[in-house]
Amino acid sequence: MSDFDTEATEKEILRFLEARTKRAWETDTDLFASGGLSSLFAMELVVHLEKAFAVSVRGADLRLDNFRTVESMTELVDRLRTTSAGGTGA
Amino acid sequence: MPDRLLTEAPPSGEAKVRGEVTAPGGAADSGAVTAPVGKALPDTVTVPGEPTALGAAASPEEAAVAVTALVAGAADAWDRAGLLPVGLLRDLGAAGWLCAQVPAAYGGRGLTSAAGGAFTAHVGSLCSSVRSVLTSQGMAAWTIERLGTEEQRTAFLPRLTGGALAAAGFSERGAGSDLSAMTTQVRRDGDAVVLDGHKVWVTAAHYADLLVLFGRYEDDDAGAEGADGAVAVVVPADTPGVRVTRVADPLGCRAAGHADIALDAVRVPATHVLGGSSLPLPLLVTTALAYGRMSVAWGCVGILRGCLTAAARHAATREQFGVPLGEHQLVARHLAELFAAEQTATRVCEHASHCWDDGSPEQVVATVLAKHVSAGNAARGAATAVQVLASAGAQDGHLVARAHRDAKLMEIIEGSNEMCQLMLARHVLGNTV
Repeated sequence: MSDFDTEATEKEILRFLEARTKRAWETDTDLFASGGLSSLFAMELVVHLEKAFAVSVRGADLRLDNFRTVESMTELVDRLRTTSAGGTGA
Repeated sequence: MPDRLLTEAPPSGEAKVRGEVTAPGGAADSGAVTAPVGKALPDTVTVPGEPTALGAAASPEEAAVAVTALVAGAADAWDRAGLLPVGLLRDLGAAGWLCAQVPAAYGGRGLTSAAGGAFTAHVGSLCSSVRSVLTSQGMAAWTIERLGTEEQRTAFLPRLTGGALAAAGFSERGAGSDLSAMTTQVRRDGDAVVLDGHKVWVTAAHYADLLVLFGRYEDDDAGAEGADGAVAVVVPADTPGVRVTRVADPLGCRAAGHADIALDAVRVPATHVLGGSSLPLPLLVTTALAYGRMSVAWGCVGILRGCLTAAARHAATREQFGVPLGEHQLVARHLAELFAAEQTATRVCEHASHCWDDGSPEQVVATVLAKHVSAGNAARGAATAVQVLASAGAQDGHLVARAHRDAKLMEIIEGSNEMCQLMLARHVLGNTV
């Protein structure tokens, strides 16, 4: 069982989102529903998750659904940390 | 470190005697090309600083010296012939220098973005065609590294660091800046995928053994990405149904092997679909292009350095009205502006590369900024250098004449000036979501 801190992860992702977009977000808001996330910003999110949580987002994990909400990004981070701790890598 | 690496490079081009362009012996490259000067091009390079020097080079600095020996005296001839010696490209690739940022685990040199950038700029100061091949190979490798599975990285990356040449194809006749208009289709068929469509202006495709091609993905399991789903597929260039046709007489980077690619029922194993499933097209393309933009930006720094060296030497030695050109204030201003352009481009590239090396999310915008600033500076700087050298540089093949044409292309590829401006404006306006 991992000691993954869901709340802290969500908080950090929200902090980044709010700093970059200058507005508040809910953890279940669809980031793509409101006019569409630019691909450049999606990349920023990817790089931020990698840096902030020491994970590597590669291949199929780059799919949009993983970045749709703060919750889905948190789940992704949780899964990647578990995978990486298991030694199989991304 | 980057500055040292580059300032130590022997002055390129300007002082070369133009009668000296004959590349040293060897078989002519077999590529069909109009060779205006009819020079035989070596397939295997045996010039001073032999190819093994590339393999023996333990550091980018040593490799830069080896590359200078191989490229500086021959770039003019390659430009005029519109071809690079394939042997040189393979030697560079086998030594890991064509995509030097690939991690050592996959046979690469594992350079940081900053060190890779400095090496790219050095190559770019000598020959933008060779540098373009670095950009293509690096972008193909980066795409595989980023989008591929571990199995795919293990399967393909050692080839790219082992002498195989690669190119990445995005643009189509109806899809240039607007890549959403891409029509190339990738269809799943059992254990294979089948590609139909075409690509245009694929840099280095003429030389490539492996093509990384982007297309729309049709698969029952395409899932949530739906109609927007796209994939990058690794396609060996010798697969039946692949036809590669050179772009005739490109304006710049004339020896970079730009080619159009026709795909007619091209069948490759489904394991060649990077990551195995589709991603949103914009994200896919943006991811791949990020590396290319960084590489082009550093290549433009190289163009500026070559121009600065040539202009400075000419202005210091050529006399008119009884004094060296550099003593004339209007010419001196050109030198100052050229220096400012080179330094500005260098700093903005260094910043972006450090963002990459630090894993900072700012790398995304910093990369677009670096590409935009460097390409614009290179285009203006090269025009300035031609102005300073005047008749001494106004001839095809001359370093500044090449730079003038090459830099113009850099304002177009990997995101035109206008596309970069739109992305930067969107960033400023905070229209990120």
